[in-house]
Amino acid sequence: MARSRRGWRRFVLPVLGVLGVAAVGLAIYCVYLDRKVTHQFEGRRWTLPAQVFAAPLELYAGLPLSGDGVEEELTRLQYREVVKLERPGTFRRQGARFEVALRPASFADESRPAQILSIATDDAAITSLRDSKGEEVPILRLEPLLIGSIFPTHGEDRIIVQPEEVPPLLPAALKAVEDRQFDTHHGVDPTAIARAIWANIRAGGIAQGGSTLTQQLVRSYFLTTDQTFTRKFREAVMAIALESHFTKADLMNAYINEIYLGQDGQRAVHGFGLASQFYFGKPLSELELSEIALLVAVVRGPSYYEPRRRPERVRARRDLVLKILAERNVITEAEAKAASRRSLGVVTRSSGGYYPAYLDFVRRTLRRDYREEDLTEAGLRIYTSLDPRAQEKAERTLEHELGRLDQAHAAAVRKRAAKTDNTLPLEGAVVVATPQSGDVIAIVGGRRVGYNGFDRALDAVRPMGSLVKPFVYLTALQTKRYTAASIVQDEPIDVRLRNGTHWKPVNFTKEVYGPVPLVRALGESLNLATVGLGLDVGLPNVTKTLTAFGLTRKPVEVPAMLLGSVNVTPIEAAQLYGSLANGGFRSPLRAVRAVISADGKALRAFPLEVDQVADAESVYQLNRMLELVMDHGTGRAARAVLPPSLVVAGKSGTSSDQRDSWFAGFSGTHLAVVWVGYDDNSPTEFTGSSGALAVWSRLMGSLNTNSRSPPMPESIVDVPIEFGTGLRVDPACGENVVTVAVPTGSEPPFKPGCGAPNDRSIVERAGEWLRDIIRH
Amino acid sequence: MGLRTVVVGAVASLLVACQSLTGPPVPPPSRPPGTPQPGPGTPEPQPQPTPEPSQPPAPTQPPKQFRLGTASSALVKQARDQTTKGDFGGATATVERALRIEPNNPLLWIELGQVHLAEGNAPQAESMGRKAVALSTGDPNTQSASWRLIGDALRARGRTLDATEAYQRANAATPR
Repeated sequence: MARSRRGWRRFVLPVLGVLGVAAVGLAIYCVYLDRKVTHQFEGRRWTLPAQVFAAPLELYAGLPLSGDGVEEELTRLQYREVVKLERPGTFRRQGARFEVALRPASFADESRPAQILSIATDDAAITSLRDSKGEEVPILRLEPLLIGSIFPTHGEDRIIVQPEEVPPLLPAALKAVEDRQFDTHHGVDPTAIARAIWANIRAGGIAQGGSTLTQQLVRSYFLTTDQTFTRKFREAVMAIALESHFTKADLMNAYINEIYLGQDGQRAVHGFGLASQFYFGKPLSELELSEIALLVAVVRGPSYYEPRRRPERVRARRDLVLKILAERNVITEAEAKAASRRSLGVVTRSSGGYYPAYLDFVRRTLRRDYREEDLTEAGLRIYTSLDPRAQEKAERTLEHELGRLDQAHAAAVRKRAAKTDNTLPLEGAVVVATPQSGDVIAIVGGRRVGYNGFDRALDAVRPMGSLVKPFVYLTALQTKRYTAASIVQDEPIDVRLRNGTHWKPVNFTKEVYGPVPLVRALGESLNLATVGLGLDVGLPNVTKTLTAFGLTRKPVEVPAMLLGSVNVTPIEAAQLYGSLANGGFRSPLRAVRAVISADGKALRAFPLEVDQVADAESVYQLNRMLELVMDHGTGRAARAVLPPSLVVAGKSGTSSDQRDSWFAGFSGTHLAVVWVGYDDNSPTEFTGSSGALAVWSRLMGSLNTNSRSPPMPESIVDVPIEFGTGLRVDPACGENVVTVAVPTGSEPPFKPGCGAPNDRSIVERAGEWLRDIIRH
Repeated sequence: MGLRTVVVGAVASLLVACQSLTGPPVPPPSRPPGTPQPGPGTPEPQPQPTPEPSQPPAPTQPPKQFRLGTASSALVKQARDQTTKGDFGGATATVERALRIEPNNPLLWIELGQVHLAEGNAPQAESMGRKAVALSTGDPNTQSASWRLIGDALRARGRTLDATEAYQRANAATPR
């Protein structure tokens, strides 16, 4: 008896000991899991990527936006046209009149509540804005378009929604479809598991999951989907732990913000807030039954049920979701039927909404001031200058024109008339800015829009070619020894360099033009005349001008810099030309206007800054010469495309062997810089005038832009001269007459026999002109 | 603040003067190639005075009068309220909104310069003044207001001599 008892003890005690140790170990493990999941849950509540917004559209009487234009803008923001105004996000149109139920909106400097706005338009512009009381509204901003977010390297992006922004139908639908016992279970649902096992046995595979929403939430936190027992156990423990610490409402809100709902390149779409924007382009609060059902359908398998690639499969599951909702009395049978008839309503991604090159510029600006974690986790709101209209036009124009140029090249290759038999697609980059406000409003980094690859607008460092010439001429004008009418010699040049070699530049045409006025030398981009002028004013002075205008790289001071051996990126070229367009005032080009913290505090503003870098008179004279480039020089091909009355100024640039084709130019309100070339730096078929100018002029023609009309400085006068000789003439006399701006008192001499004293009346001049005709 | 009142007064009197301004039809600017298209809210195309070298400007031509569009006026009013409350960042952002609508209106550059001056950023106030000078050719009142802003900014930086010169130019622009 004693022996057997001892024997029993000998057997039992170690087992109990082992079990005890295991139990303690398990308990410790459970405490560890509890800590881990609680920490994750608490942490996640405050972790969200910075959101980036486009510039809001300012509405005011006089804005050149027709009725169709207004509708287009509202549609871009996913406002829905209705017969009777309902909740925010809807509008009613009656011909040229609109009634809009505006959503509440947050801007960098203030917030605006939801409100009703009446808009009246005519063929060309908005004529009046009134509020719900009929009172005139002088100016009002539409909400800014969300253009993206700065998500961490593991790619999770989300827009956090608060419980009050969630339509009640969504949690109800999630419960009905995914977790019927959600309100009562303690994290795991044994009946659901049993049901799932039974269903899976019948189906002979995994057909149904028995996971509660809480378990799905845990799974999402730790990003593992391996079907092992330990994972299932861990998941169950963590789910129970979460349930013991947090309320059902907290858990539901976390689920809605956490769950994975789609993929957009490297970006993982998490949470219903972002999914709503990603699939429908509007806030979650505005979703209708059919749209909510679609998102609930996607939960089960975001890649299997990908709404854009698998519309039929998704539709079937959406309709199944609707059927389940009706069966469980979440909605009525009639509502389910009506919703089933609706199309998926998913917006296309090609209609804008993702601008990698622009976001790249935003990110680079912010990285100077913020740590990576601040941008990806702190929920910052970043307000930028992006103009979605200009951006879309820039993207489309570049794609279209490069396609055309590629075809022209292919035809030349077939005829064996090509300089190169390169079969690479041409590449390009575009930067559009509004120089007076220093805003960069559009950036295209390459042909494959939306492809987040090599960003040519920011990273293609290329020789600027003749794009440098205006700065040589400006340096000359600033000495006061030259005017637009001054004669320079276009003659062969032989410069002995320090290393003993000789540099002998030639003109593009290989010809020599002799004495020419400055305006023609710049207009026709004559190399020899420019080198002569640049050597006369001195390379250090040209460098000084370039640096003052915004060149940050130090150019190598060799004579070849006068013809554009200076390297720049398209965005740097935009900075240089922006200072010209701004009349000699440099404003640092900015994409970011303000950064606002998650709780609405202004953290950082990037206010407009100006700095005068050249005298207004010299810049005025130069810009008038650049206007003539468009009428008589290398930019004249643009005239066939641009509205005839639009006054613009610009300059083409071509690097050696035509590897780079540039055009930079500006109207009264917009500046655009275009670069076209091959990524492997091989020669192209095109000069700046035949390549980049085609893109530039079509783009400029499509923007709603104003003519240049800067006031003429008081010390400057207009003088008609001959483009060829630079001699002053009466406009009725002389050949190829152009009007240049020169300082008072430095007017060139009259052409012999073509003089026109100022005091003669128009009648006398007309008489002389008539006599001339008769004489001939 | 006293000088600010002067400028505000000048701008206000400009607005008043403008309403009663009924000059003869304006000749088109004598500039090729095409006529400028006025932007929304920008002043009507004004004559570009193009005096011949030895001729004084024709006395019959009324001087240019810049004024603000309706939208800009509302924003300027808002910006002044913000400045009074010491919200310079807000005021700057508000004037910038107006500048995006009327980038060539010197009155807005003066306004922005005033905010910078109140904020204690005299170098930017001076730059804004110089931008306004460049844009206000032909409008003696605005020229004067621009130079006055430059003078105030220079004085704030302790450059008294340069400030005096700027004030002289302000006075010369509008002979009294």
